[in-house]
Amino acid sequence: MTVADQSVDERVWRSRPVGAALTHGQGLAGVLILLVIAVAGIAAPLLTHYGPNEQIEGANLLGASAQHWFGTDQVNRDVFARSLHGIRINLVIVLVAVPVGAIIGSLAGLVSSINSVADVIAQRIFDVILAFPLLILAITLVAITGPGVAPVIAVIVAAEIPLFGRLVRTTVLKVRELPFVESAEVIGAGRWWVLRKHVLPNAVEPLGVQIALSMSVAVFAESAMSFLGIGVRPPDPSLGSIVAGAIPNLDANPAYAIGPLVIVSALVLSFLLIAQGLGKAHRI
Amino acid sequence: MIRYIAGRLPSAVVVLFLASILIFSVMRLVPGDPALALAGPDATPEAIAAIRHSLGLDKSIPAQYLTWIGDVLILDLGRSFVLGGQISDLVLAGLGNTAVLAGSALLLAVVLSLVLSVAVVVWPKKWLTSVVNLLNTLSVALPNFVTGVLLVLVFAVLIPVLPSGGVPPGGYLARPDITFQYLLLPSLCLALPVAAALTRFLSEALRTEMAQQYVITARAAGVPRWNLVTRSALRNALPTMLTVLGIQTGHLLGGAVLVEAIFAWPGIGQLIEQGIGRRDYPVVQVLLLLSVTIFVLIQLLTDIVHAYLDPRIRIGGQQ
Amino acid sequence: MNSSLSTAGLDRRAFFRGSAIAAFAVFGSGSLAACSSAVGEQRSDAVESVEPVRGGTLTLAIPDDVSPAALLTSTTVAGVTISGLVYETLTRYPLDSVVPQPVLAKAWKLSDDGLTLTLDLRDDVTFHSGRRFTSADAEFSLRTYADPKFSAQLRSTAAAITGFDSSNPNTLVLTLAHRTGNIFDLLDLAPIFDPETFDKAVTGESFVGTGPFVFTSRTPNSSISFDRNPDYWVAERPYLDHVEARIVPDAQARLTSLKSGQVSLVAPASLPFRDSQNLAKTSGFATTSIEGAELQIYLGANVTADGLTDVRARKALAYAIDRDRIMSEVYRDTGYAANLPWPKSSPAYDAAKNATYTRDVGKARALVGDLGALPTIPLTYTGASPDFEAAAQIVQANLAEAGIRVELDPVEASIFVKQLIGAEFKGLWLTNHTFAQYVPSTLTVSAYPFNAAHNASKFSSPAYSAAAEGAWQVPDGSSDEAKKLYAELGTQLLNELFLIEIGVVVPQVSAAETVRGLAWTKGRQPQFANTFLA
Repeated sequence: MTVADQSVDERVWRSRPVGAALTHGQGLAGVLILLVIAVAGIAAPLLTHYGPNEQIEGANLLGASAQHWFGTDQVNRDVFARSLHGIRINLVIVLVAVPVGAIIGSLAGLVSSINSVADVIAQRIFDVILAFPLLILAITLVAITGPGVAPVIAVIVAAEIPLFGRLVRTTVLKVRELPFVESAEVIGAGRWWVLRKHVLPNAVEPLGVQIALSMSVAVFAESAMSFLGIGVRPPDPSLGSIVAGAIPNLDANPAYAIGPLVIVSALVLSFLLIAQGLGKAHRI
Repeated sequence: MIRYIAGRLPSAVVVLFLASILIFSVMRLVPGDPALALAGPDATPEAIAAIRHSLGLDKSIPAQYLTWIGDVLILDLGRSFVLGGQISDLVLAGLGNTAVLAGSALLLAVVLSLVLSVAVVVWPKKWLTSVVNLLNTLSVALPNFVTGVLLVLVFAVLIPVLPSGGVPPGGYLARPDITFQYLLLPSLCLALPVAAALTRFLSEALRTEMAQQYVITARAAGVPRWNLVTRSALRNALPTMLTVLGIQTGHLLGGAVLVEAIFAWPGIGQLIEQGIGRRDYPVVQVLLLLSVTIFVLIQLLTDIVHAYLDPRIRIGGQQ
Repeated sequence: MNSSLSTAGLDRRAFFRGSAIAAFAVFGSGSLAACSSAVGEQRSDAVESVEPVRGGTLTLAIPDDVSPAALLTSTTVAGVTISGLVYETLTRYPLDSVVPQPVLAKAWKLSDDGLTLTLDLRDDVTFHSGRRFTSADAEFSLRTYADPKFSAQLRSTAAAITGFDSSNPNTLVLTLAHRTGNIFDLLDLAPIFDPETFDKAVTGESFVGTGPFVFTSRTPNSSISFDRNPDYWVAERPYLDHVEARIVPDAQARLTSLKSGQVSLVAPASLPFRDSQNLAKTSGFATTSIEGAELQIYLGANVTADGLTDVRARKALAYAIDRDRIMSEVYRDTGYAANLPWPKSSPAYDAAKNATYTRDVGKARALVGDLGALPTIPLTYTGASPDFEAAAQIVQANLAEAGIRVELDPVEASIFVKQLIGAEFKGLWLTNHTFAQYVPSTLTVSAYPFNAAHNASKFSSPAYSAAAEGAWQVPDGSSDEAKKLYAELGTQLLNELFLIEIGVVVPQVSAAETVRGLAWTKGRQPQFANTFLA
């Protein structure tokens, strides 16, 4: 084997445990950014003495200042306070919707990989859900229920189910075909034992990547829905709805748009970096 | 090959059928009674009943579904009561506009990603890679409604060189130079996320190819990088690129909803958004079905092209 | 390693190089100034002279599309635009008074008992289809206006016409069931349709009238086009060759389309007030106030909804609202706070009564305290309007200070109108109303929020109906007798508070400086016969 071959092999087969992925390079950067934003959101009341919906007399579209770091909006509220509380709402949406969707989807994927009838049904359902663009699914759902946090979560859950279902199903099938798993089955290992012992460890990393990716998409989806006016109900702040309200007022107070935009982009970015860090960790 | 296509068709049909049932049921759940809305607030119960009968709403739900799907299959799409006019006219006009927008966005994305990926692999300079990575990251991290608004602000308002929205007056073919200027900003806005995804995959695929045994051998023999990239690496990376492209095209419709809103582009994205807002149920049902059909068709097409490029399937492997 | 893609005789490197060059060539040539600029073609050069210039196309931006169901309701900007360009009426009020001026009717005489109105019609008017305009057409139009299926706002006035005499093609005699003070409001608002093509207007396919512009085509969701009427009965008019209305649903996009020169005009009251104010200060643009076409911002209440049935709750609302703040922050001081709907120019205006409910959070809290626990009340408004959204959030905060919890419910514009006409609101709603700029009694017998017989608040009381009828039947809407009756109406409105006025607002219209000779009716319909671009 030449040196060149060795380097080729290493690149394809090198595997890195999840922990190392998150504490080095891209993964670390992502985790750090996420932590900073999350802490800022959780500690919101400590970081600012204005309420998120508090309308301050006379403070109409003021620019950034020492008193209002991001200025005020068109209804006299402090944008920095709103942004911090918006982080909370965004995190709640993302940290509830994606795991719920992941769990439901993974279960569906597992079941479908075991039972062939369930497989056919599940595949077709996944196809149908995937056939609807996310935003159009969102607009339709909100037409029934009205805007709010619950419809946003519901839409994201619905969109995640097929992604995780397919991922788990593919992983199970792939692992089951590996020679040592086949041998285990030959000597009598049950299906559940195989799942637990071999499939699960191998699924953790691609699942982790998908979860991180889905979280970044979920943040994006919430902001797009808010822009179209079908996201979080006013006056609740979410990063997307703050940015949407800031755009017509860019001339009066640019910080109103730039501040939350930086935060929302950083949030999306952090999840992406985590996903990329985990992604480099394992390739079957 | 034919066998492959024939094998994929039934599942596509099943998906469409299930989707149509889903769409139909969901529309029934949206609050508001269409007969009441048409009749007006002072209508007598007899008038409302008459309208309900003319809309076919007094039949059972399954019968209504069958009537609807039957009409759709013979392309009798009905009328829009909110906007006036035949739905088929509305949809065709919108579809044409969205197709032009999506087509130019795809073209732009492909060209951009080809140029950037090839550049990054042929000249592996650190600064170039960093710049491309930064652009990629920005395209993905910034919501596309923000890039759209920023583009309009910079190129249409601050330095007024491009139109801020709308379709070229007089049609697309009359004056290509004008059409180009109207298309540039919206298709750029739509293309950026696609270009980012494509660049990522393509540069990764090209790098993998360039690390292959035969490439190293060729480089050692003195074959220039450019040659290798364009002759072999690109060709081998084509299937992956097409798959990614197919997936991204399917997502374009969702992106189009936002872009068409910002640039006042009268395509089906805007039709759907406005239609749902106005409770124009007949239009919305047709548009939802259309978007699903388009998606399924694109997936089918992508699979077929991928299969064509994979000789194992094309030459006809027996399973 | 190589895939078996057949090599097409073209050398791959040359192919890519060639296509790259071609791509750059196409893109480059597109932006080189050798060809025309799309932006440049939209603008016209500003010239100092104010002599009317013939020709040109006026492009304007409107927020919504034609809605055939709203043909006569005056609730869509597209409908109002078409009615101003394509249709005409028998008489028309100028902006600054309620004295009718002749349009399709040259002269008229109201009998002494107020029950017979004889109108002399012009004999030189033709419809866009070529057919001569006669009294039979006017009769058809007024009968159509009274048809309940169109939900026209002045339907009750039209229904009061029980007899038509159109035997003479140049004269129309109307017989009224009782005296009405606002018959000329009806004649100002009812468009004269061509009976032969009316069915096409109902479906939104084609609109044929007698006005200065001819409807040529319509691309749903995109644009509406009009051509100059070469046979218009006013000689040498209009100046413009074409008018193009572009449908731009997004408020921000409307602003950028004006600023970038895509359109030269945005329809009145279709831009947030802050943007209109900024445009007034931007060179190249001008903002005009349409005095005489005032709107009123108000908070409506469904008196049968939970929490709103007791008038004390509604009084608490009236005391809690910070009208001055809304007028200054949202409407940029273009109007004034008010408790009664009538603008300063109206005979029914009463400055003292207008100050009955000024902001007093203490009083509001006391009233709420008396009432015990109130449920959360929904507040509906048109979500797409930044001004309504800001005002609704201010109202929500104001009411919260008084101890009333309100949940915001943004909806789409046409849904809002449907709920208004059908009285389907579940609690409070925020919007603007007009019709106070006409004869004062029109408001209470016609407009959806005020109609004594059937209004969006589901409010009715014999006293209110009697006051409305009384004011309506006074023949001279500006007499002292009428003013006494308006005062009674005002007292009713202030006591019952099924509708809480916030302020009177003057609609703003922003346009490029090159657009001259713009004129509007009290109903904000465009009058472009004398408009030109210079």
